[in-house]
This record gives sequence, structure tokens and C-alpha cells, in this order.
Amino acid sequence: MSGAGSALNPVPRAFMVGTAIGSVVLLVVVLITMQTPPLERIVTGLQRTLPPLWRGFSRPDFELFPLAFRAMTETFFMAILGTLLGGFLAFALSFLASGNLLGGTRWALPGKAILVAVRTFPEILLAIIFVAAAGPGPTAGIMAMGIHSIGFLGKIFSDVIEGIDQGPMEAIRAAGGNQVQVFVFAVVPQVLPEFASNLLYRFEINLRSASVLGLVGAGGIGGPLIQRLQFRRWEEISMLLLVIIAFVVVVDAVSSRLRRNLV
Amino acid sequence: MAPERLPSLPAASLPTPPLAGRLRSFLGLVIVVTIVAIAYRQTSFNIASLFEGTSDFFGFLGRLAPDWSFLPAVWKPLIETLQIAYIGTFFGTIIAMPLVFLASRNTAVEPISMWVARTLLTVLRSIPDLLWAALLVPILVVGPLPGAVALTMFTIGVLAKLGSETVEAIDPGPLEALRAAGAGRVATIVYAVVPQVAATMISYILYSFEINVRASVIIGLVGAGGIGFLLQVRLNFFDYTAVGLIIVVIFAVVLIIDGISVWARSKLI
Repeated sequence: MSGAGSALNPVPRAFMVGTAIGSVVLLVVVLITMQTPPLERIVTGLQRTLPPLWRGFSRPDFELFPLAFRAMTETFFMAILGTLLGGFLAFALSFLASGNLLGGTRWALPGKAILVAVRTFPEILLAIIFVAAAGPGPTAGIMAMGIHSIGFLGKIFSDVIEGIDQGPMEAIRAAGGNQVQVFVFAVVPQVLPEFASNLLYRFEINLRSASVLGLVGAGGIGGPLIQRLQFRRWEEISMLLLVIIAFVVVVDAVSSRLRRNLV
Repeated sequence: MAPERLPSLPAASLPTPPLAGRLRSFLGLVIVVTIVAIAYRQTSFNIASLFEGTSDFFGFLGRLAPDWSFLPAVWKPLIETLQIAYIGTFFGTIIAMPLVFLASRNTAVEPISMWVARTLLTVLRSIPDLLWAALLVPILVVGPLPGAVALTMFTIGVLAKLGSETVEAIDPGPLEALRAAGAGRVATIVYAVVPQVAATMISYILYSFEINVRASVIIGLVGAGGIGFLLQVRLNFFDYTAVGLIIVVIFAVVLIIDGISVWARSKLI
């Protein structure tokens, strides 16, 4: 990547032009080979759905507000428990994925591989499995979020642990502290603020996922939403959407403020 | 132990954390525990329910043993999935680019347009990709089209947010130099901003594609095309061995695309 450009231009022009042309060509190929319904069907569909959609979104059904608020509160609580469950499991796993605690990078490889696998496995598939096994309800959603969050949190946690200052650990060891004391007094205080901050960040992500897990029956506001989507009751759908957006925006704002105070 | 070797050290010389700070952490802990207790009650979370009932959790996992003879039926929806992800990333990127500069403090045209762009991006991002798909399916006919539009929407939100954070962090020197020399708005962006952010932006576009592949495998569950749609159909028939195979294929595809994308991004930055 170096050589062609100056210090200010690390990406060579030829590379950028080539990538742009290549991606347009690929787009044309994709659009030609993809099977889409005929255009007139889409147009007639739009003509049928857009007027009621517009009417529904211009006046949300406020009578639905109590139900929407209750469902979103459940979603909120699901996200809390899911994040916490993920946090506990990730906390345990992250030490098995941190090279500096295990005495060598290669000992951390199995732990790291598990974390990648968990992170890659789609959350909604976990939810489907838990719903099929345990029946519909928030428990399935919480379990899905808890398991899926391990991947992200475990990775961040182990990165944090690998980046800690060795000084306090050595100091406690030199003063005669045992392994447990090293852990409690040298590792934990150094990683706690970062852990808490990332837990909050993951909570923001989980609140978004919790609001869709209900689409497959895993509890929260997604359930009432998918029912109304099937019948295209737009004035009720818009109410539910308003509550979701409001919750997400407010929680994001509060959480990012807390995170700024933490780190 | 240590204290015996240090007899002269008076206990008072050890610093104690200020009372206010300790009170605050204690209060924080109480609040967190209370919220968790309420959450536990309200959701009636019950981990034991996984192992009760007709089939326990691990017994159920056993029924998902993949049926490999189903594999040929998977290829076509799988390709459609990747097509949806590509279209979503492409158009999402095209639309996000101007929004990046409108939403960044140092390149915004007017405070009002910056505010509008930022609000729009916040709303776009607060709706998850699967929800976009669920909303668009009743409007745009079941199939890949609502999926592609859903991913476009979500990509705009994510990419423009990441992009404007990058643009706001650039070295202001070249920007001021070009402005002082009387360059127009577009010229300033092309020659002062783009060279500084190009590598990072390409990396973010790849990252968006990664996210979109993950999303495109599941949006079919609500009717938006691709392999998720096949999964939904098989689930409705309780055809669990086919479901198991589809899950394995989805996992493999996401893992491969992730691997390629992470490798390409590591080459870029």
C-alpha cells in the first residue's frame, strides 16, 4: 500500500479508481442475476400500501401507548439481564483468553477461538433454538442475548486484561501476595472501569436486539409488533416504533454519559 | 507476611478513599442490584424452563443434527443472501457519503443541515436491521427487494456515523490551508478531507459489508428473501434436520466472510 502515495495519501489513486470500477461492475452483475418480482407488481403494491401507511404514520394510535410502553419495559429488562448474563460468562472466559495471565499467547488460543465462534453465530438463530427448546417468552430472548454477548464482551475483556500495567502485579507478588491477592488487588481494580464501560455499551446494542427478538417469539416488543405488521395496522405500528426509537435514543444518551464518567 | 517486615509504617499514613466516593459507589451498587432484581421479577426469567417440558435443551440440540442431503437446496438462497448484502452495502455507501460531510462539525454546510443530518442518522440507527426488513416486507412485496432496501437503510446509519467521527478527528491544517486559499466546498473536501479518511472509510465499508452479511442471512425470517426465508419455511414444517444444516451453512458463510474482511482490513490500516 505504500510507495505510490505521499504521506497524506496512503491509498493510491489507481487502487481507489480500480475498486470503484470493480464494485460498479459487480453491482451490475448482481442486479442482472438477482430474481426480483416484476416492476409492475412492486408499483401496484406500493400504490396499495403507501396511502394507508402514510395515514398510519401521520397519526400514531395513542391508545396503544400503555401496551407499547409495557412491552418496551419488558424489552429493557430483558436487555439488562441478557447483558448481565453475558457479562458474567464473558468475565470467566476472558481470563482463559488472555495470554499474559496464562503465561503465553498460545495458551489463550482455544479461548480466543471459542469467543470468535460465539460472536459469529447469529443471535436470532440462538433465539430460535431457545424458543423451540424452552417455549416462547423472555427467557429464550435473555438466554440468546446472554450467550451471544459473550463473544463481544469476552474479546474486549481479554484485550483489556492483556493491556494492563504489570507493575502492580509484580509489586504485590514481591510483597509476598499470593495468586488470588494479585488478581483481586492488581488485576481487578485496573480492568473494572473498562469492563463496566463496555458492559454499558453492550447494553445499548442489546436493547436494539431485544426489540427484534420478539419477531421470533423470544419476548419483548417484537411480538406485538410482528402481529400488527401481518395485518398492516400502521397507526399501531407507528406507535410501537415511536416507543422503540424513544427508548433507544434516551438509553443511548444516558449510557454514553455514564460511560464518559467511567473511563 | 508483608506487615511484619514493615513495623514502622503507621496505619494512618495509608490513604483511605474519600467518603463521598465510597458512598457514591455504594449507592451505584444498590441501584444496579435493585434494577436487576426488578428485571428478574418482571421478565420471570427462569433458566430451569430450558430443561423442563417435553424436550430438554440438549435433547433438542440433538434433533438439529444436520441432514447433508439437503445441501443442494441451499445454494440458490445463499447466493441471493450475498446479493442482498452487496446491494445494501453499495447503495448504503453511496447515500452515506454526502451525509458524512453534512453531519461532521468541521465540514457541515449550516448548523441546521448538520442537525437534520444527525437526527436522521440517529433515527436510522435506532431501528435494527431485522426490524427494517419486517417493516419493508409489507410495503415492497416478499422477496429480496425489501431486504436490500432494509440493509441500505441500516448501512446509511452505521457508515455515516462512523465516517463523521473519522472526519471530525482529522488534522485541520490542510482544511484551513485550502479554505484560506479560497477553494470551494467540494474542492476542500476532495483535497483536504478525502485523502486523510480514505483508508479508514474503505475499512468501514468492508466492516459494513460484514455486518450486512450477518444481517442478510437472517432477514429472510420475516420474509425478506435469502437463506433466512428457507430457514423460516423449514422451521414451520418442524423439519429440524434441514434447519440444522441451514444453521451450519449460515455459520460457515459468516465465518468465511468475516475472516476475509478482517484480513483485508488489516492490510488497509
